[in-house]
Amino acid sequence: MTGRPPVDRPGPDAVIEVDDIVTRFGAQTVHNGVSFSVGRGTLVGLIGGSGTGKSVLLREIIGLQRPTAGRVRLFGTDMWSAPPQELDAVRRRFGMMFQDGALFSSLSVAQNVAVPLREHTHLSSATIDALVVLRLLQAGLPADVGTKMPSELSGGMRKRVAIARAIALEPEVLFLDEPTSGLDPITARGFDRLVRSLVDDLGLTVFLVTHDLDTLLGVVDRLIVLGSGQGRVLADGTVRDVMAVDDAWIRDYFSVRRIAGDGS
Amino acid sequence: MSNTRWFTVDTHDGRTSVRLTGAWRLQHLAEIETALAGLALPPTVSVDGSALTEIDSAAALVLLRALHAAQSTQAAPGGPSWVGFSAADGRIVEQVRTHLEATAAPPMPRRQQPLAQLGVKVIALSDLLGGHVNFLGATVAAFGEALVQPRRLRLRELTVQLEQTGLMAIPVVALVTMLIGVVITYLLGLQAEKYGANIFVVDGVGIGATREFAPIIVAVIVAGRSGAAFTAQLGSMRLTEETDAIRTLGLSPMQVLVVPRVLALMIALPLLVFVGDVMSLAGAMAIAGPMLDVTPVAFLARLREALDARHVFVGLAKAPVFAAVIAVIGCRMGMTVGRDTRALGAATTSTVVQSIVAVILLDAVFAVLMQALDI
Repeated sequence: MTGRPPVDRPGPDAVIEVDDIVTRFGAQTVHNGVSFSVGRGTLVGLIGGSGTGKSVLLREIIGLQRPTAGRVRLFGTDMWSAPPQELDAVRRRFGMMFQDGALFSSLSVAQNVAVPLREHTHLSSATIDALVVLRLLQAGLPADVGTKMPSELSGGMRKRVAIARAIALEPEVLFLDEPTSGLDPITARGFDRLVRSLVDDLGLTVFLVTHDLDTLLGVVDRLIVLGSGQGRVLADGTVRDVMAVDDAWIRDYFSVRRIAGDGS
Repeated sequence: MSNTRWFTVDTHDGRTSVRLTGAWRLQHLAEIETALAGLALPPTVSVDGSALTEIDSAAALVLLRALHAAQSTQAAPGGPSWVGFSAADGRIVEQVRTHLEATAAPPMPRRQQPLAQLGVKVIALSDLLGGHVNFLGATVAAFGEALVQPRRLRLRELTVQLEQTGLMAIPVVALVTMLIGVVITYLLGLQAEKYGANIFVVDGVGIGATREFAPIIVAVIVAGRSGAAFTAQLGSMRLTEETDAIRTLGLSPMQVLVVPRVLALMIALPLLVFVGDVMSLAGAMAIAGPMLDVTPVAFLARLREALDARHVFVGLAKAPVFAAVIAVIGCRMGMTVGRDTRALGAATTSTVVQSIVAVILLDAVFAVLMQALDI
């Protein structure tokens, strides 16, 4: 973990600040005081058992779902009290990749990637067409997939197109929901490298929810663990730090890997 | 030479250098693009990034494209040289440079000529109709198997479908056909009143409703209700691979899913048409009293004289044919839908349109046949 940016740096450099989030669905409390902040240029992974509300937290951070209490700030803007114009400005500074891509099924791949560029910039068509190709290449796709429809793509390609669309407007932060779920291990590792290169080459901050141990061990700078039951952050730090935490769930989680590693 | 907010161009000892300034970011890119347009540069330039606050990959692309365009007009011995870029900016420019060639010619979707488009449509339509006929054959074959081995018939699924397509449709069928009865009587009544021929409205509405209107209206309702439901149900089962699971369990989707639906609709539709007959006549009778002074007793007495049973039977006989067509189209569209959600929506819409067109076409065929057969 040497040579990578320092982790957990709250204050002016923090791009994501989650402050004492409480989420309840009826009588069920999912989050009970979740807090953390993420600094610029880091690749952060969020894990937790089923029902710990990882995806819910992600939706709360990007402003799709209102938490019961607590504050979320992106680039210093409160996602739940800022005026609409300010929120629009914030939305242009981050990109989101949904689990199955959420590509617009009636548009071709190139048109999907061009949507944010056509909506939010005044560039010429030729430049947009060239930018679309650049985004596809940056997402590790060949340029000629642009003419295909989303339904003609494999799951891994759909996710890459979703990344291309999410980075179209040069966001500073990229959110990924289960980026490697449903991919074969080889494709998944390729995806990990892609995500890492977005951080290293383009200077993005990436926040991802994942179950994939290889992603965590391979590319993540920092790991945040949501605990089941208590609804709080169970552990937060580098993968090595988290593995050293004395907790039954964390031990179980990483022991799967140890056994598999010993076996082969 | 040319100085803008975004760059300054200098020439020293025959060497041209472009010094980039400010934040080359996507949000300023339209401005940068305009500033770069028409910039004439010699084949070799040096690009100085020391005064840049930052550059993102979109801006790098526009810059590289502009440099490339300026140079392609002249023979270029080697590309531009890069000086003064920070490590991070340098990485971005280098990454974009490796992709530059591919962005020069974005792949374009191929457009077809009008005649070719027409040909594609005609072939698609004939494929569709051929597929329907094929599927009808497969359904009949599956039904034949079920007749030979009655235990292969899914009675449980059949009753569920009978309930959903028949019983549950009674309220909407009753309401709509009653209103149709009222409207026909009203329109006929307006004309008949002028000649004092009030009682003959019963003849018109009796024959019209039972022979034509009730079957057509009920079939259209059922096409929208059950035909669309068949496509949506079977289509979503295909999306979730349930139909494949049925096949791997050694069962036939035709037996399990299609035959019960087709059979149920062929039983339910004539019954619904009968409900429609009764309700449209009831509606007619209800308005005939206040509007035309035809009392219910007089209405029924006239109906008995004027309405031959054959008209009712013709209407009821058309119903199973309509039902078979609606059910076969609905099931076939569901069983062959593409495995994505958009295709499912399109197939469901298509089922409704196809079924209604088919019902009205068939009704016209029936009218001509009945005329020829003098029924």
